[in-house]
Amino acid sequence: MSTSAVEKIDLTGANISATENAYLPKVAILDRVVPEITDVKTFYWRFEDAAEQQAFRRFRPGQFAQVSLFGVGEFPTSLPASPTEDETFFTVRRVGSCTAALHKMKPGDKFAVRGPYGNGFPMEDYYGKSLVFVAGGIGLIPLRSCIVYALKHRDKYNHIQIFLGAKTPQELMYVPNLREWEQSAGVECYLSVDRSDGVWAGNVGVVGSLFKKPGVQVQVEDTVAFVCGPPVMFRFVIKDLLTMGFQERNIVSTLERYMKCGIGKCGHCCIGVAYVCVDGPVFTYEQIKKLGEDI
Amino acid sequence: MKARILDRADVLKIVDLLRQQGYEVMAPFCGRGRDTYFDVVTEQNRDQVQTHFANPYYPPKRYVLPHIEPMLKVTRANGNVRIEPIYEEPKRAIFGIRSCDVAGIYHLDLFYLGGSFRDTYYDKRRKNLFLVNMVCTDPDRDVGDECFCVCADTGPAARDRFDLQLMDLGDEFMAVAGTPAGESLLADPVFRRGTEAHVEKRRAILDEVRKRFKTSTSWFSATVRYVSHGEVLEKTWEEIGNRCIECGGCTYVCPACTCFTVSDRQTGPDEVERVRIWDSCALGGFTRMAGGHNPRKAVHDRRNRRFFRKLAHYFIQRELSMACVGCGRCVDVCHGNIGMPSVVEMIRRATAEFENHEHVSR
Repeated sequence: MSTSAVEKIDLTGANISATENAYLPKVAILDRVVPEITDVKTFYWRFEDAAEQQAFRRFRPGQFAQVSLFGVGEFPTSLPASPTEDETFFTVRRVGSCTAALHKMKPGDKFAVRGPYGNGFPMEDYYGKSLVFVAGGIGLIPLRSCIVYALKHRDKYNHIQIFLGAKTPQELMYVPNLREWEQSAGVECYLSVDRSDGVWAGNVGVVGSLFKKPGVQVQVEDTVAFVCGPPVMFRFVIKDLLTMGFQERNIVSTLERYMKCGIGKCGHCCIGVAYVCVDGPVFTYEQIKKLGEDI
Repeated sequence: MKARILDRADVLKIVDLLRQQGYEVMAPFCGRGRDTYFDVVTEQNRDQVQTHFANPYYPPKRYVLPHIEPMLKVTRANGNVRIEPIYEEPKRAIFGIRSCDVAGIYHLDLFYLGGSFRDTYYDKRRKNLFLVNMVCTDPDRDVGDECFCVCADTGPAARDRFDLQLMDLGDEFMAVAGTPAGESLLADPVFRRGTEAHVEKRRAILDEVRKRFKTSTSWFSATVRYVSHGEVLEKTWEEIGNRCIECGGCTYVCPACTCFTVSDRQTGPDEVERVRIWDSCALGGFTRMAGGHNPRKAVHDRRNRRFFRKLAHYFIQRELSMACVGCGRCVDVCHGNIGMPSVVEMIRRATAEFENHEHVSR
């Protein structure tokens, strides 16, 4: 018997999934763990159910997932893998109780994942443009997905430039990837560290110092700049990019917020008029400025 | 909408009818003093059900969004993990829900069932919920000192979104059906056809009760404009924030607040239950991230958040409904006198004064 006003609300086409319980995570198995830098590890995992794995792998670069550690809680994390890669993995820094619980897990252990959520980077919209990636520290985690995706579709983009900063040479992440990008003909990859260890032969200084180095010509014309890193780095890099002539709408980033649901209901990630989980996490700098809150 | 008349003495027969149909009926009861609460109707307490009562502080939104709601059960056995959802689909009726709270539930419908994702838990509780709205007609017992539904346009008589609406006409009650389910109840012999005089009486009572509201205006339109345009001075937000003691009371009594947190709790040696719990944007930890970074550090940033969420045009349009229904509960519970009407007034005064001054000096 239909009794309530609920039936009267026309939501046809509005809901992504009207019947499925979006809060229900699916069991995942940890395959292997690779240490990256201090307190940061990469966790390779797959869903217990192969069909779930297939469905999940259709995510877009820049989307995120909710990871459940039973008895501890759930946390949102970026998807550093590209949908063009075979394996699914997270790179997570140990900061709170959930991430600490994940760091304690061993291959074969089970946890749960739901997602992918969020808008992601519109990589298809950038076809024909040049891409400039600027990442500081673990800011590379969400951008890795875009970089791998762009290199896989290399013919679709014009110039690709990567600028990476880390505190020390030991704090550089995804080292095998960095070597590959440095040697790849289709991409310019520049690295910088804040403090040298004495052995480091590369640039020393903040990531923005790379822009002014002799021989470096940052693409500006018809270019999208991806910026991700700690708030201080973000502010300075944005200033540099705007000075170089980038328009605010051509600078994109991904925001992180405390989230409980990932689907626009719990209210924790709401900044200004945006729910980071469903309206983001990817925003242009033009949008970020209007949100009116700390990055 | 179809309307019928019933004798005053028969009004609780509606409770009986619903119970016969298998509904668990929640109805208002009086405790000591001002204390009122919704509780399950039983054989024993049926005669104590109230038709005129101060609206309970604990809003009936808990029947669609319990303050603690189990979501999942996770069990571990022999290296396997089983995740099962915990659903509750009660066949429940709320007898005597006030018009403001009917609007509150409608707001929650739009929020939880709309957007990109439909909330399964809300959906299941809402599907079989039957709402019997009681119109506020007694200016002394029904209308609270802080009620402002006339400004929020949700009362004293809800226009829709109820299944059945009851209104005290003196010796008789008028029953109005809002849905087919409500209309089917009117077939019972306890109801009879009304006359033009009944409709006239309804109008006269409502005209009178509207005049008896103490908080008659709260200047919503000007404030919505100022908030939406970002014209509210930082100083004004700070003044509002300075009065907030961060107790979270306003959000817990609000029939239109939606935020929750999620927590896991151990229920056995190999069993964990995931629950969601009402949360409050007034609390300091609401936006604090695992590393300790909190983008909303200052109290006034958090106060600003709650009122921005409720008053910004963008959100009103997003849900096609305003997240304030004029129930006045936040005014009653706030120790700092920053319930909705006074905040609206503070914003309107300060912003208008500033704008006028700027205009003149230019």
